[in-house]
Amino acid sequence: MFSTVIDPIFAIALNTFRETVRDRVLYAFFVFACLITVLGILLGSLSVGQDIRIVEDLGLTVIAIIGGIIAVFAGTNLVYKELERRTIYVIFTKPVSSWQFILGKYVGLSLCLFVVLVGMGLFLLGLVSLVDPEHHMQLHIHGITCSLALVLLELLFVLAMATFFSTFSTPIMSVIFTLSLWFIGHLGSSLIDLSRMSNNPTAQNLLSTLYWCLPDLAQLTRVRSMLMYGKEPSQEIIVFMLSYVMAFILLLLGLASIVNERREFP
Amino acid sequence: MTGLNVIEARGLCKDRVSSFLLKRSMVLDNLSLTVKQGETYGLLGPNGAGKTTTVKILLGLMKPDRGEVSVLGKTAGDHSSLKRIGFLPENPYFYSHLTGLEFLEFIARLFGLKRFEIKDRIKDLLRLVSMEADANKPMNKYSKGMLQRLGIAQSLINDPDILFWDEPMSGLDPIGRRDVREIINQLKRNGKTIFFNSHLLPDVNEVCDRVGVLVKGRLVTEEKISNIDQGGGYRDLEDFFLAQAER
Ligand SMILES: Nc1ncnc2c1ncn2[C@@H]1O[C@H](COP(=O)(O)OP(=O)(O)OP(=O)(O)O)[C@@H](O)[C@H]1O
Ligand SMILES: [Mg+2]
Repeated sequence: MFSTVIDPIFAIALNTFRETVRDRVLYAFFVFACLITVLGILLGSLSVGQDIRIVEDLGLTVIAIIGGIIAVFAGTNLVYKELERRTIYVIFTKPVSSWQFILGKYVGLSLCLFVVLVGMGLFLLGLVSLVDPEHHMQLHIHGITCSLALVLLELLFVLAMATFFSTFSTPIMSVIFTLSLWFIGHLGSSLIDLSRMSNNPTAQNLLSTLYWCLPDLAQLTRVRSMLMYGKEPSQEIIVFMLSYVMAFILLLLGLASIVNERREFP
Repeated sequence: MTGLNVIEARGLCKDRVSSFLLKRSMVLDNLSLTVKQGETYGLLGPNGAGKTTTVKILLGLMKPDRGEVSVLGKTAGDHSSLKRIGFLPENPYFYSHLTGLEFLEFIARLFGLKRFEIKDRIKDLLRLVSMEADANKPMNKYSKGMLQRLGIAQSLINDPDILFWDEPMSGLDPIGRRDVREIINQLKRNGKTIFFNSHLLPDVNEVCDRVGVLVKGRLVTEEKISNIDQGGGYRDLEDFFLAQAER
């Protein structure tokens, strides 16, 4: 009984993972990210004195951006690609529920993101070990791992947003929606400041509603920079952030399943 | 043959909206049909008549605007009936980066089949559609006919009681078509119900028990093959089809 619920999810996840990992586009992004990081470091060492922290910071930012691009594009194409290739017909003529499909797809793509982040993270560590003459590798490994975990958490949220939009709009529109919300999420509490500054009551309401509806992604960035300077965030903050983002992801995936349930596949 | 109605559609109507200028057009117009258990039913009709739309509604992929559908006694798309249904979509095109074998495994797991059953089942099916040699190639390296064969194999993976096949012969070479005819005959001997669309009338003539002709969303006639063959005043099924479709 249990396996008949889990099996389809697992099958869809594995399928998605294989399809995405075997796609050459993914490698193009990967190589691109590595090149940019190396280039940045070379340029950096020409101008300012070599600083490991700058290397790490640059590398992590590039990883976050490239990972974000992958999350947004893979997520927004999620339902569309299956529709376009008519593979959706083979899935929904099997005893598979909408939520199993959404969850399976999401898990598969998350796995891909994880693999990509690990790959790029290892590359960054390699670079850092080349640049750092004193080999404080233990420290670097810890810092980079923690930061990448935060990046992953953020990307999982972005992926859930993209998945949600993909269930009812075209890929282009979903990309626009996802990127705007992602950006707004980063404004975080500045949204509140903005709404105070505005004279227009509608704009005020809109901005503060957005603040209350969206996760405060600025907080993730704050914790990340804390980590970079060797400060550990407290246990409470970590637990709070985790549950906060997880709740958002579950909500988005739940909504995506409901929307997808009502959908026709012409 | 117990004579039970396993597929029943009553008064189906469906409008489709083309994205251009949102123009509505009626695709199915009060369509009613029934298929009995063990019967092989061929739905014929010119291009754009609504055959594929009918199949999609019977499977629950689309909802009719009006009318009712029951398949195996359940509403269309019910999970307990989907477990006993095999479906071959029109022009199947699957996942480009998966191999044929991985794809069949994927479909088997969607049905929740057990790991040990899956292996033997897939081996048998690959042999049935003569695809053993190409099972480990990625699907974007398949020819149209190879995809079609794989599509037939995936539709049989759960040993279904009813088969919905949308143009099973399209893209197949003469050997492949003969193989499909043989598969259909074997399924018939096992008492399976088969519902299919086709434009290849000689094949239809050979395997079907009954045909229906759909023209512009309306079922203009239904007839037993045996009645057409023996003195219906028609030379063959093609003659019958042309007479009905252009009436
Ligand atoms: N995705 C779609 N969106 C809007 N209209 C569609 C869509 N697909 C098909 N139609 C319209 O529905 C009608 C019936 O199409 P359908 O695919 O059911 O025909 P068919 O009988 O299967 O034809 P063929 O023999 O060519 O496969 C056609 O007029 C077609 O224009
Ligand atoms: Mg068709």
